[in-house]
Amino acid sequence: MEYLYTIAILMALNVILASSFNFVIGYGGLISIAHPVFYAIGAYGSALLARDGGVPVLLAIPAGALIALAASVLVALPSVRISGDYLLIGSIGVQLGILEAIKNVGWTGGAGGLTNIPALLRPGTDHGVYVALVVALAVLSVLLLHWITRSGYGRAMSAMRDDELAFAALGRNAVAMKVAIFALGCGLAGLAGGLYAHYFRFLAPAQFDILQSAALLTMVVVGGMRSTFGPILGAIVLEVLPQAITFLDLPAGLLGPMQGILFTGLVLVFMFIRPQGLIAAGSVWRGRALEEGHAGQS
Amino acid sequence: MPVSLEVRGLSKRFGGIVVADAIDLELRAGRIVGLIGPNGAGKTSFFNLVSGVVRPDSGTVALEGRDLTGMKAHRRARLGLGRTWQSLRLFPSLSVLYNLLIGARHYPGERLATLILEHGRVHRAEKAGRQRALEVLQRTGLDGFAHREVGSVPFGQQKLIGVARALMNEPRCLLLDEPMAGVEGQAYRTIQSLVRTLAAEGISVCVVEHNVAFIRDLCDEGVFMFAGRVLARGTVESLIADRRLTELYFGT
Amino acid sequence: MFSPLILVQILWTSLATTSCFVLFALAFALVLKVNRVFNFAQAAIMTVAFYAAFTAVARGGAPGWAGLLAALAGAAFMAVALQVLGFRALQRRRASSMFVFIFTLIVSELISYVAMLLFGTWPATIFPSLFWPVTMVGGIAVSQWDMLALGATAVALIATFAFLHLSRIGQAMTAVADNPDLAAFYGIDRNRAQLAAMVLAGLINGLAMFLYGTRAQVQPTSAIELLLFAIAATIIGGIGNLGGAVVTAVVLGLVQNASVLFIPSEWQGFLLYFFLFLAIVLFPRGVHLPVRKRPFRTVAAAARRPEEPAGG
Ligand SMILES: Nc1ncnc2c1ncn2[C@@H]1O[C@H](COP(=O)(O)OP(=O)(O)O)[C@@H](O)[C@H]1O
Ligand SMILES: [Mg+2]
Repeated sequence: MEYLYTIAILMALNVILASSFNFVIGYGGLISIAHPVFYAIGAYGSALLARDGGVPVLLAIPAGALIALAASVLVALPSVRISGDYLLIGSIGVQLGILEAIKNVGWTGGAGGLTNIPALLRPGTDHGVYVALVVALAVLSVLLLHWITRSGYGRAMSAMRDDELAFAALGRNAVAMKVAIFALGCGLAGLAGGLYAHYFRFLAPAQFDILQSAALLTMVVVGGMRSTFGPILGAIVLEVLPQAITFLDLPAGLLGPMQGILFTGLVLVFMFIRPQGLIAAGSVWRGRALEEGHAGQS
Repeated sequence: MPVSLEVRGLSKRFGGIVVADAIDLELRAGRIVGLIGPNGAGKTSFFNLVSGVVRPDSGTVALEGRDLTGMKAHRRARLGLGRTWQSLRLFPSLSVLYNLLIGARHYPGERLATLILEHGRVHRAEKAGRQRALEVLQRTGLDGFAHREVGSVPFGQQKLIGVARALMNEPRCLLLDEPMAGVEGQAYRTIQSLVRTLAAEGISVCVVEHNVAFIRDLCDEGVFMFAGRVLARGTVESLIADRRLTELYFGT
Repeated sequence: MFSPLILVQILWTSLATTSCFVLFALAFALVLKVNRVFNFAQAAIMTVAFYAAFTAVARGGAPGWAGLLAALAGAAFMAVALQVLGFRALQRRRASSMFVFIFTLIVSELISYVAMLLFGTWPATIFPSLFWPVTMVGGIAVSQWDMLALGATAVALIATFAFLHLSRIGQAMTAVADNPDLAAFYGIDRNRAQLAAMVLAGLINGLAMFLYGTRAQVQPTSAIELLLFAIAATIIGGIGNLGGAVVTAVVLGLVQNASVLFIPSEWQGFLLYFFLFLAIVLFPRGVHLPVRKRPFRTVAAAARRPEEPAGG
């Protein structure tokens, strides 16, 4: 039972991560690979606040998400101002640099990891409660993002991706929009981090390395970029596949690389054979029924 | 008539190419100025500099007495500077109506926080924007196309969408980059009368156009540009009559 | 606090160590200039080069020069494969620049996982010992590796610039970089020029990675970090400016290596991220406004046109 709970929680967390990552790279058109690092910032922030700062866990988790959000604004502001390419480069620097910092400073537990993180649930509580909480938050996150992308804001995101100059010349602030998109996406990743930390109660920098970036990219690209259900499907597939590999009983040294090859290989296969992913998003923006104003468009 | 747009000493060079060389220009409310000159003269670059899409090396731009120098493109647009693009630059993933809605003047839903927290306000703004978009579509004779994808609309109407989109912002000054290139028939006449009406409403207009008949019929005044400089200004007739300018234009 | 002799010693060793980094930066800048791609898959080329030499020398017992050949061959092969199977296919499909980025990134990660699978995650070197014979020159220790690396780098730099300026295909590469449409107009085959740029960059990477691997330990993930240095140098040096990238790489390398003097060594690696940050925040030079994304061209590439000049 515990095993199934663990899988369910990881799956729900991956749904949050993949959906928010899809929001950033798919809808926002912002190329970043640093999503795992904001996941880490949320996890470490929340864990340290609760463990060393004495903050109640229930407050520490949203605080961790806010820290991740603030950090993402600091990253996005300088890099998005110039052009999209810089965000990618900046994000690689942030991804590697912050993990390097976590490994090197004492108060994060260093490379060995952070232990004794307080749990959210009182000892003895059925862990099914936690599963329900995480799944509920995952559903809420997906609904929120879906709602945004189908609103006028989503329409503006679509226009911005189409043509940023024309967008700006119509009085729309593309930079502010990109920063907001990045911040919301990364804040949700931070929320997932806090939820992870106070259930598994152990964090190590290796959990947030570039393998995670590859995995998230795979979930989004394989599932279907810019669709609501694509990343969810991707997250589920990618949680199940590695579990299947675990059953193969490979030596531990091979397991990591095999998973990595699986993730990256899948992305490549999809990029060339089915670039739109399992669930294809149309090329035309569609609002929600209310905003469409007409039963059948065109 | 009051000065609408005032440009002083606008200069820009790309490497060795001077695209704007200390340009001074005034547009007056209600007047239509034709900007003419051969390809590569720097007409589009002038629009880019004025609309804030390209940063000038020096020079100032003011709209209705308000200094725009150094402002980002989106702020200039909100203050009433509208423009269209030689290469259209419509949003292919949006329908015609939605293309217009991107230009809506007041859109609180543009802020993510407002969108989430004050949904009612956003909803009302959305309705108002839609109302205005439908009016503009009517005005530009595009009402039949509202829900079509922009790519599926005839070329002349696509040009009109570009103008209509810029009107959503209620501009005080409108820069039109070759609105007539490749346009004929009904769309031609619509654009022509639309520009006239807009000017009559007190908007200042600057049109880049190679179609001499169009410029002559429409413009109160002509400005001749060459190699990033304003060489002459006066009535369109006088510019056309000037042998020196025609030679530059046709590159003999 | 330091004697002049020690300073000179540190400068000399830093300069020698920097040589490989200069070549990585040159290769990256070249592909960015000609092919207009931020080629993160360069890390894959570097990884293949190292493990090719490693297999030949450390596993197969081949002599050093055979290791160099293996590195060059491996790198060139990987570069050609990337261009022909990857970039060209994406270009044909008019894939967005985001798609191309993801592709290069994923390839470099894939190759590092394959390397982990085949060679393990522990650090490896091409020769069993990283120690090279040292001679004293006027009180400074000069190792054979220093001489070898600096000499090879100088030769590679001169050869590259001569090739770009003097050979026909080199000139074609420059023409394509400056103006792809005009180059096409004059009958220059863009595909060939881009392939040539990739191969040339591959060879430079092969040489540099061989040098690096005879002096330092390499892991499957090392190349990505090495590449970040090249990226920082390329941005600060001014995109499209190969000489700028080379000079910046020298300066950054000197600063980073000489930083042992003023910061704790475990933070030395951190300096790289600091450079990258500086590059993005302070030196985004040569970057014009983003244009409507044309397929397969990076937005940051120099000399962009905000609006196409009138076509007719
Ligand atoms: N971003 C740019 N970089 C370099 N050259 C440019 C850029 N934008 C325009 N130019 C050059 O400036 C000159 C003027 O172009 P443009 O303003 O489009 O002329 P026009 O609209 O009058 O035909 C042309 O030679 C063009 O190549
Ligand atoms: Mg023009």
